[in-house]
Amino acid sequence: MTAAAGGPALDAAQAAAAVGDDGQARIAGRPSASRLHTVLGLARVEATLLARSLLVLAGLLAGVAVIWLAIRSAEPLWWSVGWRIGLGQVLLGMTVLVVAQLAAGRARRNGMTGLYASFPTTAGTRTLAQLAGLVGAVPASLVLIGAVATVVQLSGAIGTASIATLAAGLLLVIAAGATGIAVGTRFSHPLAGMLAALVLFATSDNSHLPWAAGLWLYPWASYGDQLSSLPGPLAGYPPAGAHALELAGLAALAGVVSLAVTARRARARGRLAVAGIVALAVICVAGALQLRPIPTADLNHLVSEVTDPASAQHCTSASRIRYCLYPGFGSQLPSLEAPVQAVLAHVPTRPTRPLTFRQVAGLYLPDSTLTHGHPYRQVSEWDVRVQRAQANILGNFAAPSTDVYLPVGSWPARGGELADARFDLALAAAEWAVRIPSQTIASLPSEASGGPSRQVPLACVPLDQAREAIAIWLAIVATHPSAGALGGGDGRGGLRGVKVSLAEVTVGASHVATEIWAYPGSTTTAVSGPGLAPQTTVAGYLLARAMTSLPEQKVDRVLTAGWPRWLNWHSTDAQLAATLGIPMPGVPAGLSQQGNPVEPVCTA
Amino acid sequence: MTHHSVRRGFRSRLSWLRAMPLLARLVTRTMPWVPLITGCLAGSCYLAVMARIASSSHWPLGSGYVREAFIPAVGALAFVVRAPFRPLTQVTPVPAWVTPVGHVLLATPILAATCWLQLRIAAHNATLILGHPPANYPLIAQLTGWCAVTVVAAACVDRSRYADLGGATAVPVSAAAIALAWYVPITHKLLAEPPATPRGLTIAWYTVATAALVLTSAAVGDSWHRYARSLGRLLSR
Repeated sequence: MTAAAGGPALDAAQAAAAVGDDGQARIAGRPSASRLHTVLGLARVEATLLARSLLVLAGLLAGVAVIWLAIRSAEPLWWSVGWRIGLGQVLLGMTVLVVAQLAAGRARRNGMTGLYASFPTTAGTRTLAQLAGLVGAVPASLVLIGAVATVVQLSGAIGTASIATLAAGLLLVIAAGATGIAVGTRFSHPLAGMLAALVLFATSDNSHLPWAAGLWLYPWASYGDQLSSLPGPLAGYPPAGAHALELAGLAALAGVVSLAVTARRARARGRLAVAGIVALAVICVAGALQLRPIPTADLNHLVSEVTDPASAQHCTSASRIRYCLYPGFGSQLPSLEAPVQAVLAHVPTRPTRPLTFRQVAGLYLPDSTLTHGHPYRQVSEWDVRVQRAQANILGNFAAPSTDVYLPVGSWPARGGELADARFDLALAAAEWAVRIPSQTIASLPSEASGGPSRQVPLACVPLDQAREAIAIWLAIVATHPSAGALGGGDGRGGLRGVKVSLAEVTVGASHVATEIWAYPGSTTTAVSGPGLAPQTTVAGYLLARAMTSLPEQKVDRVLTAGWPRWLNWHSTDAQLAATLGIPMPGVPAGLSQQGNPVEPVCTA
Repeated sequence: MTHHSVRRGFRSRLSWLRAMPLLARLVTRTMPWVPLITGCLAGSCYLAVMARIASSSHWPLGSGYVREAFIPAVGALAFVVRAPFRPLTQVTPVPAWVTPVGHVLLATPILAATCWLQLRIAAHNATLILGHPPANYPLIAQLTGWCAVTVVAAACVDRSRYADLGGATAVPVSAAAIALAWYVPITHKLLAEPPATPRGLTIAWYTVATAALVLTSAAVGDSWHRYARSLGRLLSR
């Protein structure tokens, strides 16, 4: 706030005094050196005021908060997070813009133009000093970058930071400050700076703005990209170097405009016009560079990585489990292995079919920010390849595979989301261990399909099957989720807080209404089997929860003794409960909240 | 009550009435018309452009755009409460609160007209795309609450050491207050839809507006600047 208040009038006087009592005489005698001295003195004052401004501090805090909200539950991929830091820089830039506008307009706003004119320094010198004083915003920007980089590195960052992207964020703050000075030299009312800041904010939320291909031309495109789902950095996406050049050009242009408003001499104006033209040329060149299409070879490589992950991934095997990850994701392996190994420690006999955890990447190729400049036929061909690969993942009619898919960008770094994802992964391994199929080929009724009845892969429900409760118990003992993550419970066998939906399960010719339990991670889609994952029932969850009250060794003994029996889908929850010597928990009535899909029962 | 005091009160009321035209002229002349109208027009123009893009792209213009478009008007409102030359007007017989209250009263119809215009623009787009306009009453309550929060922030800042930059300080302060209320889980349940129901949200925002109005009355009626003591001094005591 101090940068904009009445203080600087005094500071200007102090700076003039710093030149010396005989400053005016020296200015007349040695104009260049003295002017530089004055500019540096004033710039130092302005930079200090800017760095100490409460508004800039508020912008820094808001920027950190916004970035934290954007990345807290995301996978720490540097090629995505690096660009997200820019969103925080936008907020910081907005406050720097407002403060710079207030500082530049204070003479006119306070009605002290005459007083300022009486100072030895000219208006042009003061503007030049204010522009140089924007260095005061650099510490806040660097603190923002440093804080986020520390958090990302501590979260197990994947990839490396792009210096060009981070530098572009810094230049955005400088360009915003220069724009504030340009606005302030012409419009002294504080509202002008706020409107300019709102324009900057509106352009950053460019999901609603036309011309998607020109996404990178906006000061900072905060949304509308696919960075978080890419399996690795893609050169030219975003074109960070060219964008940094554009922002540098914008900063220079704003500086030229602010100097032009205060310049009096024709010669100075002529020089500024030339500088303005050069800045404009730089912006145009940078814009043209950003609009260059991504090279076909790079996109071909990306499409191949997405459609044929096996060709790009490194696979690691351990205990008949394979983990296939894209290059650079190797650091995640221990985090993936831990819950799976914890499940397998309780499994008496593992299936003969190996289980593979495979990363997959989603890609939307009609997105013109990615494929602009390429022939329509080429884009369609890529799109067909990607869609065919996704269809293969969604349902393999002939032979259900034993792959479990981990979408890139969906493995959280920390907190409750990570706990949910670990539970999801453990449950996938447990379902494989107890042979629950991920899907069943079933007949979709004509009323549901909107046409004739046809055979489709559907998520199946292990209705009243002991192996379901065993799978859930295995996942619980492997990951130890909190009661809140599982859905709370009121301690009396109730299910307060549990997310439940209703499904009609096809058993023979009849339908059975069944309560489906939304297990931790099921809605965040961290892990997905081939097709739709099996639906876990509330009855299975309640029995598994009751099993956790028993000593683990006792449950292990019972399971080991009758393992082939428990793998049989005809073995019921009641039989398991009776063998364990616990009462079968009842499902409270009236839990269902939504949905009424028809699901087949898992019979394999 | 004595005969003398009744006569004095009657004379005072008469002098008030006689001063009304002069006061009205002063309030109108000191009203910051340019920022207010600029703010209202800027937001409305932004919404009109967005509505045009939305209509041509066949996507509905959500209430979020109306909120965004109303921000410049709310920002301009922060500059309306400021009473120029307050130390001087405070020593005159006319109460110092008359000018800021008069400014707010003058700004109210302009803000209402802006709100009406922006809701019409959004409703026109919604009718084209969705076939029916959305319910406006929760949005009106929310925008009223925003205005009230901004006015109370400006009035409070005007009584502080930052009075010279009252509006410029009040805008970020009120923006921070609204953002906190929006994102903090406890208040989010009451003030954001969803999870709040339209009716609950309306009641909550009008409650906020009423509380802000009471606080504004107290702030503009306060005769003194409230300079916060430095932390060091407070700690040394």
